[in-house]
This record gives sequence, structure tokens and C-alpha cells, in this order.
Amino acid sequence: MQEKKDMYILGIESSCDETSASIVKNGTEEISTVISSQIDIHKDFGGVVPEIASRHHVKNITMVLEECLTQANMTMDDIDAIAITYGPGLIGSLLIGLEAAKTLAFLYKKPLIPVHHIAGHIYANSLVRPLKFPLLALVVSGGHTELIEMTDHYKFQKLGGTLDDAIGECFDKVARVIGLEYPGGPKLDKLAQIGKHTYKLPIPLHDDSYNFSFSGLKSAVINLAHNEEQRGRELNKEDLATSFQTVAVESLISKTRKAIKEKNIKYLIVAGGVAANKSLRREIEKLGEETNIEVSIPPMKYCTDNATMIAAAGYYAYLDGRKADLTLNSTSSAVLK
Amino acid sequence: MILYIDTSSNYLYTGIVENGKLKKGIKKEYGHDLSQVALPEIASMFEDTGITPRDINKIIVVNGPGSFTGIRIGITIAKVYAWSLKVDITTITSLEAMATSSKKDKVRVPIIDARRGYCYAAIYDNNDQEILKPSYITYEELKEKLKDKEYKIISNDQDKLQITNNDIEAYDPNIVEIVEKFKDKPSVNPHGVNPDYLKLTEAEESKK
Repeated sequence: MQEKKDMYILGIESSCDETSASIVKNGTEEISTVISSQIDIHKDFGGVVPEIASRHHVKNITMVLEECLTQANMTMDDIDAIAITYGPGLIGSLLIGLEAAKTLAFLYKKPLIPVHHIAGHIYANSLVRPLKFPLLALVVSGGHTELIEMTDHYKFQKLGGTLDDAIGECFDKVARVIGLEYPGGPKLDKLAQIGKHTYKLPIPLHDDSYNFSFSGLKSAVINLAHNEEQRGRELNKEDLATSFQTVAVESLISKTRKAIKEKNIKYLIVAGGVAANKSLRREIEKLGEETNIEVSIPPMKYCTDNATMIAAAGYYAYLDGRKADLTLNSTSSAVLK
Repeated sequence: MILYIDTSSNYLYTGIVENGKLKKGIKKEYGHDLSQVALPEIASMFEDTGITPRDINKIIVVNGPGSFTGIRIGITIAKVYAWSLKVDITTITSLEAMATSSKKDKVRVPIIDARRGYCYAAIYDNNDQEILKPSYITYEELKEKLKDKEYKIISNDQDKLQITNNDIEAYDPNIVEIVEKFKDKPSVNPHGVNPDYLKLTEAEESKK
């Protein structure tokens, strides 16, 4: 039997405010990763400014690629394929990674593998341990809130998603109401660990679907803060953080629980930046015990946007026969298929 | 052999030039699909001529001003190319390219409309001296600078220009002329090749 050759994939990710490149071996072993984050730049504007993000991606792209190859002690000739996030995300940002990936694919005649950003978040888990099916992925980040069922590698079925704001976006906005600096999500989580659940807030989209909705909850917090101010009462920030976070996490958990039971899930993974949230992690662990299924939450470095997960997903996408030519385009609202 | 790339307008202008001769050139208008079109078109030039990417000794890329997204696409292709294959690279402005493609019989004023009463413009005299460097200025300021001068406008935004003149010509790049003029311009580090937007983002502008 012919020995199976190792496959080294160069992943490139630029869908929001991180320019990242990574080399992953056989979809599971991280060789090198470089992430150039723009958080400090966008902080001054209270959120990511798309045009500024695009400008920084183009500035950073070749330095990030060079550093990634240098760390791996490899050259482009050692790379077997190039995996690229084609969407969803900020279109101007996505385009920089895409053009870089296509240029390298053209110059070195390497296969070009299109990777959906959410597939990347899911496959971040395969860098820790192999995925098992049927699997349920709860993807929670600044741009996404989705429940995805997988019956096998690269067989995605979206069960539900947010109808309005993404969970991370909602966290950042509520954090701003409380007076926390962008990105406020993690700071809000810290306060929530201290306070008590004293403020009454509506449970979002408490229905029979797998969907989420966070804009109503966000508005409720804004109104509550406003009313307290009108009445001359001081807002208890810790308690508001706890009250908000409890309700938001409960919404995620109840829909996840429903999917686990109805879809006979054996393996639950949580992916995306909000997977760092302490309350969510705690409740997910509890849910795993309650439903008696295995739970995987990847380490923080794989939860935020990075190219490692794109290279990992790219390996399985390649095995699934997914390849693109040089006409591949970015799209801000790609559907995971 | 020199590769020329200009994606700063709603046209893709690219070509491969060797010893003052155009081996292959492409001038193509596109809609909102530059990222879909640019690299396949560039690749087709190589395919059609049998030239390989490693045969290129220098890249000349337009770094603006013009469409922000457009410039970034051309710059990204060019800098990744130059960095990865260690090819010399140099940048020129779209306005220099426009002026170079027009006869030096008069003062030349390449203009790109930038909306809201602004434009990107430069002024070059018959001897190719730069009287106004590529600038983001109001039409009023530009008119002031052109007062008492006899000049011609080079522009593809003729229906949007807020300046009138009896000599206006459309921009049709002479890729050989452009490459010949700038082929000896010193090369720069590919990492440092970036768009020159001539304009801050609106977010930065409103913060000032």
C-alpha cells in the first residue's frame, strides 16, 4: 500500500479585523500561526471600522505571510494547498486575504480551497481532538450565533441562527451602555461574575425554533439603564451585567438543549470568540453532564478569528473535493453548505 | 520583462512589456466584480504568451488615487507577487499614468472625480514637470491653480467633472509608454507597497 503523504495547508483569514496566516499539517497539527490584530486601532472608534480594517489588512498581509513561513521554516514550495476564508465577513477585509491566496495559488500552481468562516470555527476543535458525529456546533462570536448539526465531515445542516444581532455584538453594545470600553464583552463577563441577577429582563425568543434574537434584550437593557437614570437611581453595573448575561446564556443553552434532544446528538462543540465567556462555559459543561454527551470547547487562541482553523477546515474541505479556481470571489453573507 | 497593473478605476489595465514592446495587454471594464476578473485576466496573459511568472523582472503597480477597493486588489496581487517570487516592484500614481499616456503638447491635468465637490488631480507642464502633485482637492481650488493657463484635461469621469475646458480627452492608457517611463524608478520593499488613498477614511476624518 502506498504511504499516505502528509498534507501541509497554508490558511489565510482576513474576514474582520485580524490578518492571519497559518500552516497546519493534515488538518490537525498546527505548525505555525501569525495573527496581526487591529483591536487597538478600532478601540478609538468604539468598534470595527470596515474601511480602516481593509487598509490595515493590505498593509500587513505580506509580513504576516512571511512571518508564518519563517516560523514554520518552510517555503511556498513546501505548501500543498492554500485555504482561504471567502466569507462571510466584511467584504473589503475578505478581499485582501482572497487576492493574496489567489495570487499564491496562481504563482505556485497550488490548489485553492474555499473555506466558510463558520466551518473554520467548527474545525478549530479538530486541532484539539478528532470530531465525532452526529455533532452539534454552537457558534457564538461578534458576527455569528448559530446552531449547526453535522452528520459527518463537511456535512453541515444549519438548524437555526440569530434573526438580528449576533450574541457577541449584543455583549459589546450592552457593555457600552454600562460604560465599558470596546471590546466590552470580556469586561462585561468579568463584572457578571461579581453581581447578582436582580434586574428583570425578557428571555429572548422563547419559542419552538432553533433561532435566536438578541436585539429585544439589548433594547431592554438600554431602556432599563435610561429609566433608572430618569428616576435618579444609580445603575448597579455588576447586577445588570449578571442579569443580562444570565438571560443571554440561558437563551443559548435552552436552544442547544432542544437540539441535542431532538437530533440525538452525541458530541457538542462550542466555537467562536464568545466561547470564552465564563458563564457560557460553565452552563455548557453542565448541559453536557445533564444530557450525558461529550463537550468540547477549544482553547481561547482557537476561539477568536485565526487562520489555523481555516487551514484545519481546509484539509477536510479538500478531502471533500472542494476546490476553487481564480474566479473565486468573497461574499459578505455566504451560507454554510 | 515588466508586468503592469492598474486597478484604480472601473477598468482593469494590465500588460506585460518586454524591451519597449507590448507582449500582451488587457483593458477591460468591469462592474462590481474586479476581484473575480483581475487575477484570471492577469493569469490569461501568461497563458496566452507562454511567459511564466518567474520571467517577470519588475512589477509596476498603480497605488492610487481612485477606487479604494480597486486599488487594494491590484496592490495586494502585486505585493504578494513581488514578495513571494522576489521580483522588483515600484509604484506610480494613477494620475501619473494618465498624464504619461497623453501628448506633451500642453499643460496636462489628469482628473478623477471624488464626489462632493472634490477631485483627485495633478498638473504637469509640457516638460513633464510636476506643477501640482497628485492631490485630493476641491474643483474650486483646482480652477484657481489653473487660472490663466492653457491646459487639457485627461479624465474618464467627464460627465461628473465640475470644471469645464475646451480640451478634454478620455484616458486610454498607453501601457508601453507608461512602462518605459517608469521602468527605472527605484524598487521598493514589497512589504512597504501600499495604496496611497490621498484621503483619510470618513471615520478618521470626523474624529479630527
